[in-house]
Amino acid sequence: MAFRECAAKSSAFAKLAYAYTHREEAAKAAKAAGKRVIATLGCDVPEELLCAAGMMPYPIYALPGGNMEMADKYLEYAFDPLVRAQFQRIVDGSLNDFCDAVVVSNSTDVLVRTYLYLREMKRVETDVAFPPVYFIDWLFTRKRMHQERNCLVVSLFKEELEELAGRRIAEEDIRKAAVLCNRTRSLLRQVDSFRTAQKVQLTGAEMLVVCGSGFYMDREEYNKVLEELLAELPSWPQVHGRRIFYTGSVQTDTALYEEVEETGGIVVGEDTDWGDRYFDRDYNLEMPSTRALVDRYMLREFSSKKAFVSQRVDALNREVDKAKADSVLFYFHIYEEAASWDYPSQRESLEGRGIATAHFAKMHWPKTEEEQQAFSSDLRKLIAGEGA
Amino acid sequence: MAEKQQSKSSVVKKLKATAAASAYQKEWFASLAKRVEAGEDFAYLNADVPMEIFRAMDIPFVVNQWWAAICGAKQMTAKYYGLLKEAGYRDDLCSYCATAFAESLDPDDHAIGPDGRPLGPWGGLPHPTIAITRLTCDCQSKIFELFAKSHGASFYAMENTVPRKAPLNWYEMVEDDWDDLYDTDRLDAAVEELGELIRFLEEKTGRKYDESGLIEVMNLINEQESWYKKTRDLIADCSPVPVTVVDTINAVMQAQWQRGTRWAADHARSLYGEIKALADAGEAAVPNEKYRLMWLGRGIWHDFGFYQRFEEKYGAVFMWSMYLAMGADSYIRNHVEEDPLRALAARYIGMEDFLHMPPWNSSWFLQQARRNKIDGVVYMVPENCMQAVEGSYFIKKTLEDAGFPVLEFKADPVDARKWNAQSMTALVEDFIENRIIE
Repeated sequence: MAFRECAAKSSAFAKLAYAYTHREEAAKAAKAAGKRVIATLGCDVPEELLCAAGMMPYPIYALPGGNMEMADKYLEYAFDPLVRAQFQRIVDGSLNDFCDAVVVSNSTDVLVRTYLYLREMKRVETDVAFPPVYFIDWLFTRKRMHQERNCLVVSLFKEELEELAGRRIAEEDIRKAAVLCNRTRSLLRQVDSFRTAQKVQLTGAEMLVVCGSGFYMDREEYNKVLEELLAELPSWPQVHGRRIFYTGSVQTDTALYEEVEETGGIVVGEDTDWGDRYFDRDYNLEMPSTRALVDRYMLREFSSKKAFVSQRVDALNREVDKAKADSVLFYFHIYEEAASWDYPSQRESLEGRGIATAHFAKMHWPKTEEEQQAFSSDLRKLIAGEGA
Repeated sequence: MAEKQQSKSSVVKKLKATAAASAYQKEWFASLAKRVEAGEDFAYLNADVPMEIFRAMDIPFVVNQWWAAICGAKQMTAKYYGLLKEAGYRDDLCSYCATAFAESLDPDDHAIGPDGRPLGPWGGLPHPTIAITRLTCDCQSKIFELFAKSHGASFYAMENTVPRKAPLNWYEMVEDDWDDLYDTDRLDAAVEELGELIRFLEEKTGRKYDESGLIEVMNLINEQESWYKKTRDLIADCSPVPVTVVDTINAVMQAQWQRGTRWAADHARSLYGEIKALADAGEAAVPNEKYRLMWLGRGIWHDFGFYQRFEEKYGAVFMWSMYLAMGADSYIRNHVEEDPLRALAARYIGMEDFLHMPPWNSSWFLQQARRNKIDGVVYMVPENCMQAVEGSYFIKKTLEDAGFPVLEFKADPVDARKWNAQSMTALVEDFIENRIIE
């Protein structure tokens, strides 16, 4: 990762960048201090509940290019490369020495399969050791009856956590955790405003670090660092470039954003859960906890996986407007297919409003040489204001 | 190597029941088209949507998977996927679910060709006014919404839940103990979902839900599926078998999509009677039957002859597919009168479980492989369908650990462009020679 001089000199950013690149460190320290660490898979595991139970959430990340032996053995080819790599880290024992459990949310269909496979491995592959696995089965349509069902889903998950924690999770504990998490989201929105403002002072790659590092830090410490960063940001120099909105596969490292920004763009927003979508809706402190959790997790902006085409068209338009983007980069890993059905309608809507788009589907992770050449070429066109 | 003998499959597959079902579905489709033309609402449903409600409310409907199979069999898919590409969509995704959406882009779907024949399959799909799917896959709801928009129809989605219970012997519990088979809260949610669907349909179509009508439909289905159970067990007990999957798939599935009608129950009874007569007469579908093959996966609709290519050369007969067996083992729900909506909920929520989730599917396949004295399993994993990703490792391991050799390969059940009959045949031949005969 290479950052601008202002970021490199910032002590606050340095702390965030350290956590971003040393992702096990805080979780292992928490474990050593006697805290339970819960590995999470999927973007709809309520962190407020984990924090309230005195546990540290640890989103399972993966980086491209690792050994996939176990994933190749158990998963069909249709699992996208990020989920393959995440699965590999669960079953190859990488989490065993510091994670007490894995919680999977059904945030996309492939994660439902992943959970079922892990559950079945526990039954029939008893020589493969990995932490116990829990599952959250949200409903994603937003009718009242589905919201009510989701209250039950949250309650069931809370009961499981209580069993794991060996104690009851009190309303007051949840409220305190929610206040802490709301504070994080509020701070992240403030930080992000330096990226979405007309005068851009924070790059997309920098924002990825700011947001992603929080997954791997103690929450109170993270909030303090965000406050420090906020104090510094007004003095950071302006960044110039074509304003690009990113939609597609979650980016768990900065390489793609750096490439966009080195080519002359600035990623001013994204709809992924390692970015804007993570902090777009607060926990409503006026509501009872189960209702507030349903409200927070199920009524956020529509994800690309669990929404209809019309919802995704409207959502992308809103997000692009909010980020004041000139162009949209669609980028999807191979076998991460659902959003491919949204794209033609989204493109039509965006281009009808004068916003250029470039679309990359079936991308390997990392990109093949051929893909890299095509991507670089089309990216240059997008940044020049042409569609690709 | 098996001695070469003349296969009778091409004769036996002309079961009267198959011909009767083909004739009936054409008549039924023509009458449906007339009803739609006359202004009635018409629903297009994914296969796991509880069609029983539509049957009970007398709302005409077509099932997506049946229609995709018709389009595949009519060799329309190459044209349709070309239309998808022209419209900016990818042409290599979700072929089973996207066929009807692709067809809706065809301006000639209802046109007549210069030879006076309709250009669309069976004259084309009448324009639905309602399109309904369940949220069992990230892509499906998107495709159904696009399909609905293309036809100007109302789109409706039904939620899906994942079972926490995973009983290995579900097929023994399903008929009478269905209330214990599923998590209570799942069933509760599914009943609510059905209520919501009924409210939507009443509002949309002006028709009213009639519970006695649903009870009648459910009991007719129980009757129909009971005949399939007897048929499946009869075939399992025969050696050699009187019919192959080529005979049974079409006969069963054409009627399965008509389930809940008197015709379908009677048809199932006649199918059993016909096969029983063949069995009693000692008829063999493949006189030199030596190896009994199990087919796992969706049917190869565009090359049905594939299943017969191993009969003469090896005496290898595809005698089991899920199409007959799932009716036999997963559809019957007794005690309907006590709570018909709950009984229906206990049918439709389980479809995804037993087909696509280990250990539901793997334990059932193993039980069936044993019951049918299977020599080898040919397992087609669909090429571009996440919904059909179903734990192939666990299925294969379960079967192979129990001594059943498994050939697993990737293919597309409806997209003929990707099918290489020669190489697929060679693959199965190699499997038979090296894993079964040896």
